[in-house]
Amino acid sequence: MKYSIKICSLFFLACMLNACTKVIVLKLNNASPLYVIEGTITDSLGTAQVLISQTKDFYASNTFVGVPGAVVTITNDSGVVTNLTATDSGVYTAPLLIGQQNHSYTLNVAIGTQTFKAISTMPVKVPFDSLFITSTPGFGSAVKVANVQYNDPPGKGNSYFFVEYINGRHQQALFEENDDYTDGNKVISQLTVFGGNDSISTQKIKTGDIVKVDMQCIDKNVYEYWFSLDQSSTGSSQSAAPANPVTNMQGGALGYFSANTLQSRSIVSP
Amino acid sequence: MRLTKLIVCILFVMNGLVSKAQDKFTISGTVTSQKTGETLIGASIRIVNTSFGTVSNEYGFFSITLIPGTYTIEVTSVGLAPSVEVVTLDKNTKLKIQLGDVSAQMSEVVVQSTPKSSRSISSPQMGVEKLTMNEIKAIPALFGERDILKAIQLLPGIQSAGDGNSGFYVRGGAADQNLILLDEAPVYNASHLLGFFSTFNPNAVKDITVYKAGMPAQYGGRLSSVVDVTMNNGNNQDYIVSGGVGLISANLNVEGPIQKSKSSFLVSGRRTYADVFLKLSNDSSIKDDKLYFYDLNAKMNYELGKNDKLYLSGYFGRDDLGFGSEFGLNWGNTTATLRWNHIFNDKLFSNTSLIYSDYDDKISINSGGVNARIFSSIQDWNLKEELQLFLNNKNNIRFGFNTIYHTMVPGNVSSPAGSSINNSSLQDRYSWENAIYASDTWKASEKINVTYGARLTAFSIVGPGDFYNLDSAGNVTDTMHYRAGQFVKTYLNLEPRLAISYVLNPTTSIKASYVRNVQNLHLISNSTAALPTDKWVASTNIIKPEICDQVSLGYYKNLDSDKYELTLETYYKSLQNQIDYRDGANVYNNNAIESQLLFGIGRAYGLEMLFKKQAGKVTGWVSYTLSKTELKIDGINNNQWYNATQDHTHNFAIAISYQRNKKWSFSANFVYYTGGAVTYPSGKYIVGGQPVFYYTGRNQYRFPDYNRLDLGATLQLKQHKKYSSELNFSLYNAYGRANAYSIDFQQSTSNPEQTEAVQTSLFKIIPSISYNFKF
Repeated sequence: MKYSIKICSLFFLACMLNACTKVIVLKLNNASPLYVIEGTITDSLGTAQVLISQTKDFYASNTFVGVPGAVVTITNDSGVVTNLTATDSGVYTAPLLIGQQNHSYTLNVAIGTQTFKAISTMPVKVPFDSLFITSTPGFGSAVKVANVQYNDPPGKGNSYFFVEYINGRHQQALFEENDDYTDGNKVISQLTVFGGNDSISTQKIKTGDIVKVDMQCIDKNVYEYWFSLDQSSTGSSQSAAPANPVTNMQGGALGYFSANTLQSRSIVSP
Repeated sequence: MRLTKLIVCILFVMNGLVSKAQDKFTISGTVTSQKTGETLIGASIRIVNTSFGTVSNEYGFFSITLIPGTYTIEVTSVGLAPSVEVVTLDKNTKLKIQLGDVSAQMSEVVVQSTPKSSRSISSPQMGVEKLTMNEIKAIPALFGERDILKAIQLLPGIQSAGDGNSGFYVRGGAADQNLILLDEAPVYNASHLLGFFSTFNPNAVKDITVYKAGMPAQYGGRLSSVVDVTMNNGNNQDYIVSGGVGLISANLNVEGPIQKSKSSFLVSGRRTYADVFLKLSNDSSIKDDKLYFYDLNAKMNYELGKNDKLYLSGYFGRDDLGFGSEFGLNWGNTTATLRWNHIFNDKLFSNTSLIYSDYDDKISINSGGVNARIFSSIQDWNLKEELQLFLNNKNNIRFGFNTIYHTMVPGNVSSPAGSSINNSSLQDRYSWENAIYASDTWKASEKINVTYGARLTAFSIVGPGDFYNLDSAGNVTDTMHYRAGQFVKTYLNLEPRLAISYVLNPTTSIKASYVRNVQNLHLISNSTAALPTDKWVASTNIIKPEICDQVSLGYYKNLDSDKYELTLETYYKSLQNQIDYRDGANVYNNNAIESQLLFGIGRAYGLEMLFKKQAGKVTGWVSYTLSKTELKIDGINNNQWYNATQDHTHNFAIAISYQRNKKWSFSANFVYYTGGAVTYPSGKYIVGGQPVFYYTGRNQYRFPDYNRLDLGATLQLKQHKKYSSELNFSLYNAYGRANAYSIDFQQSTSNPEQTEAVQTSLFKIIPSISYNFKF
């Protein structure tokens, strides 16, 4: 149930009452930096990648600053170790490393004296059946939205993560879902973006735009990571208890390690 | 069951006392308003030139026993003219006391010129706040919608949960720790329009009393406060139609006698019509939107005989919000109360209540491939019996029992065939709450009054259902199945209640109290706003009853022949089994909701001051609260003490009304409070291709301070013989302060290289006008 009831209703009220917003400057503490590790291995060639960075102060720039000099390996469940090499500052890759469904992978990262570890299992691939664009009546005007379609296999426990690109630009929204409510059904999900402003972070789909969506079948822990990140770390004031997400990373780093399948579809918006 | 024995013993002893007291006689009766026939709650009955006195109960009944003699009895009630009667007591005597309107008696403009303290110097009851409906009506309100729950937030120790939120915090308690009763029926969600208005239609309300400390033993079930709202009975003298038309809503009330001077009825309705404006829109998508609420209060009473009276009252309210057919949110409360007052004799008063209460919400979604309805509800059947024994002029005893059966439907999802959503439901939960209680208000000496008592509660969780054992990380290790009717667990708690007052002189007293409260229903919400989707859950094998012990000390002083009153109170609370969320909790879709929760302890302490002017052309009050509320939860902030969300250090309010002349009256109120504790990020990082935020702890920051001024004016229009009307003007947030409703953190829209904090404010200046009439 991706539909966010609270955002919807609050947005509704905000519109009704002509709420006003302004940018304010807050005095926020500077925390000592923590390592952030974002690791993925998929069933496609050339996608195994680990990004390592550090947390920054709130008012610092958003630019990704990589951490060089880490020792990064991914070990499969038969004990075969693959070294990932730095291609750019903080970007570690193994171009030939491919993951297989139903197999577990272990990520090990050593930075100086600190070591971090995470395990993820690549689930069975559920086919990405269709991608299409629909118009939904929004508040004031119709909004174009991408729809994804797949057949969830019977038996609870399937989790999915979608990534949307509009004209090659990454849509800054998290689309995680699982089959708690939809087990065994044909599922059509709308990749609805709240906020609506055609800003850098959330783009509106216009006629002629090329919309690309990646579908990832993810394991339960990675789903919980995305879910809790979405619920409590995106800066939304509606979160009752903002917090760092629940991660599968051990050793005190932020981020996650996901072994997932990867499928993509593209469409030109009508 | 030792308490039952104790009560039986007490009864025996009392019987003995009654038979020994044969040489005394009892004056009993009822106090009513002469004009409307409404029974008066809490009217003071004073025997002049003695230290004896009593107050009328919830049904206007009183009883006092004295040695034979001639007595002058003075009866007073706030806002009404006092009555003085001389009684020669040589047998048991019944009185029907009627108090006239002040304005009827005083031809001059000086309304409310007779000072009458709204709180008693000598009564051991402390931590109690009362507002009269006249005081509430004088307070300027948002959109001109007078709101009793907003009004009480101007009093010390009762803090607002913020703009657009009818939730309130009493002495550091969370919003779900207030027991809100409407004619004894618990109201589970006292808000309309997601919290902008409260469910109480002020036109149907007779009395509101808030207990912050020393809760009498007849109340139980919530930790922080009891908000006891009593509906009007209806005028038993004349048929009256009154109503009002405001900016966003209209209301209409009809009341009148069934049997003149004996019984009456009242029907009161209110509906907002903001949605009518939506219909005017050219945009078809807006046209189909829904945004309204309505509520209906109805009450009737019927005199069966000299000693028996029946009351039937009901409330029905609903909210309906919707975006076309895509999304709908519909919720409401229904309550019904049937009460039977029986006077066994001039000393023993009985009330039996059968109460039904229901709260439900429905969400409908029809968007994309998703077509589903989610339903959740909480339903209570409640039986109460209370006996009040006015034993003698020194002891006033109450005892009784209460049994409630709760049925909770936490969430049923239904969907038509072909939708991607499966039908599913979280387990329904059943529980049975029983309580027996007894208390005695005892005049120990000329100067000392004591209320002592206890409440014994047994909360039983009843099957069918699955219950869980968890490991320390919150994972389910074991599932236990229970059959229908099987008892899962019973929590037994004894709640002592003690309050003492010491009268220093006729205008000064000090009071102290200790109270334990236990709460077995907990509101689980994963949002900062008061949404109807917030979920009530009962205690389980893992969620233990919340317990609060409170000690309180107060100083009370009336000045300048009761024109002014000063109240100072301090309190310290110790809380057990408090609940907070695990990081990243998902409370919506989880049978084992316990796996998402963390438990710990809390403490709250503070100082409250109230200075009130009761008489003259200018009346009103100043209130100030200094307080601290902290929690210590296993698994949050390294198990250290941290500020609770409702921790507002300073809280200041002024409410003033000025009766300029017969035509014009003006009012103003000002509030200031420290922002509550809140979680802000202490950094950020990039993940999933977007900036997200890094948190170093919960509630480590403060929301911006809040302040607001509201102004109001009432113009009394020309009065005709039967018809009177007035115009109300109000200016909410008169100087347009942009108070923070929420603060979001996001990537800057102007510079994507930066992140920024964005504050949302709900209300700028909101003027409104309403017209009220009566005939």
